[in-house]
Amino acid sequence: MLISKIHELYGLEQLSSGDTCVHRLNPTAKLITTIAFILTVVSFNRYAIGSLIPFVFFPTILMALSDTPYLLLFKRFLIALPFCIFAGIANIVFDSGVATSLYGIDISYGTISFIAILLRAYLCVMSVMILISVTPLSEITNSLRCLRMPNLFVVIFEMVYRYFAVILDEANSMYVAYSLRSCRRRGIKMNDMGSFIGQLLLRSFDRAERVYSAMKCRGYAVGISSRKTKNWRWPDIAFCVTCCLAFVTLRVFNIKISFFY
Amino acid sequence: MHMADALLSPAVGTTMCAISASINVLAVNKIKREELCEKKIPIMAVLGAFVFATQMINFAIPGTGSSGHIGGGILLAALIGAFPALLSISAVLIIQCLFFADGGLLAIGCNIFNLGVIPCLVVYPLVFRSLVCKSTTTGRITFATIASAVIALQLGAFCVVLETLFSGITSLPFATFTLLMQPIHLAIGIVEGIVTAAILCFVYKFRPEILESTIQRATINKSIQTKWTLVILACATLLLGGIASLFVSSAPDGLEWAIWKTTGVTELEANGKVSEVATAIQDSTTIMPDYNFREPGEGKAGKPLAGLLGGTMTLFLAGACAYTISAIKKRGRKKQTAC
Repeated sequence: MLISKIHELYGLEQLSSGDTCVHRLNPTAKLITTIAFILTVVSFNRYAIGSLIPFVFFPTILMALSDTPYLLLFKRFLIALPFCIFAGIANIVFDSGVATSLYGIDISYGTISFIAILLRAYLCVMSVMILISVTPLSEITNSLRCLRMPNLFVVIFEMVYRYFAVILDEANSMYVAYSLRSCRRRGIKMNDMGSFIGQLLLRSFDRAERVYSAMKCRGYAVGISSRKTKNWRWPDIAFCVTCCLAFVTLRVFNIKISFFY
Repeated sequence: MHMADALLSPAVGTTMCAISASINVLAVNKIKREELCEKKIPIMAVLGAFVFATQMINFAIPGTGSSGHIGGGILLAALIGAFPALLSISAVLIIQCLFFADGGLLAIGCNIFNLGVIPCLVVYPLVFRSLVCKSTTTGRITFATIASAVIALQLGAFCVVLETLFSGITSLPFATFTLLMQPIHLAIGIVEGIVTAAILCFVYKFRPEILESTIQRATINKSIQTKWTLVILACATLLLGGIASLFVSSAPDGLEWAIWKTTGVTELEANGKVSEVATAIQDSTTIMPDYNFREPGEGKAGKPLAGLLGGTMTLFLAGACAYTISAIKKRGRKKQTAC
């Protein structure tokens, strides 16, 4: 179970090593575009299904261009879905005014906002997942540095990500040891929980220090970033500007239609 | 308790991001000034990963759009101090958002504030430390941990309620929402408190120096930290209450006041006129009137059907585009291999 979590975490990173036109784009351009996309999507009011649908093009086309497997990302979206469904169901209950009817079936405002919430959730989650699956983590952290995020914070962010596998590995071997000594019991007894997690913590401390010392021995220093940062090229600027303009146009176009109306 | 982008408005999202980012910068500067900063980095990182591992188990809370699991804020603050703990928690939350779709990218500010700033910078110095600093015993640690875990989660859950309501995507009335969130998080808080207390007692038993050194260091800086806590709290309240509500009430779209609908909140009623104007603009700007969702009983199936067809066609078109791109790419690859 714990090992599958490691695969889950690093599965997306494996995708990011691809070599397509989307992968080659500047990470900062991709980051800015994703944030612009999310901001535009969430800025619509809660009944705006019609306005949200055209935005589906962005993740779909990016996924096709970058050869990202759709199902893998969709599974991640399903993980995030339950919470949005619960909030949406609350809307169906509390916002029951009839908005329209389709072939005699009344559709309430709540139903419309429910669908809109699901659509928003889909768009936001997919855009972030695509960003991660087409950009290696080291490039993202470098672009965070370019965006003036404090280096100490970025270092901790990188390390947490890398240490996760180390901790899960420790936890896994502890778990195997525990189950062997307790007649292959499934799960950990509540009484042992404190000492199990506490022990894991102490082991993690030691392991972290050993790993860090090893890194230092190989020339690692906090202030120095050894990786090259990608320069902005014309395709990056074109991608960023075109996408942002498209989002703004879709947002404003909506208003224009309504003025005619 | 992670909030999703789908339930957040841009105004609330960006305001909270600004608040959390500035508090994090403050924390970074504070840690940099300390000695042995570099030695602490692996510990901070490994604790982040540790909390991440223990947070793997989470469950949905009905009607709230959020999930419940161990926050870990109090645990980290007790082990490494308030500011380093905040940095670790923030890193964990960002990774969860990016790799596990747990919490949104825009909602990251809200999540860092609810799960990081409140337990580490507010509850830890005010509750945990004041209970433990006089004498450190297992009993005291247990009591202080459970109390602070419960208080931190209650405050965090209340912030979730406020942030969601200010965003106005959910129709839940304020009272119902609060009544839903607080008791659920009381239960989670007690469980989190017990587990955290067990871990801290274990660590205290085997490596007392870890806890003692953090508490001692914190006691020396106590006056400074409490002052900072109060300043941060005041700034956050001002920003959230003032700028966000101004921005929200005058913005024409995406920001319907769920809270305005529910009676009894007088502060927001004062903005009634602005909200009315905002709603009017919103009504005229939304595309939905075209699809007849706003006027019940007028045209029957015609316009909604048009909307439905239009929507489906757009989705198909998007799918077709993706399919064509993939097909062209495949053909290109085949040609390459043939060559």
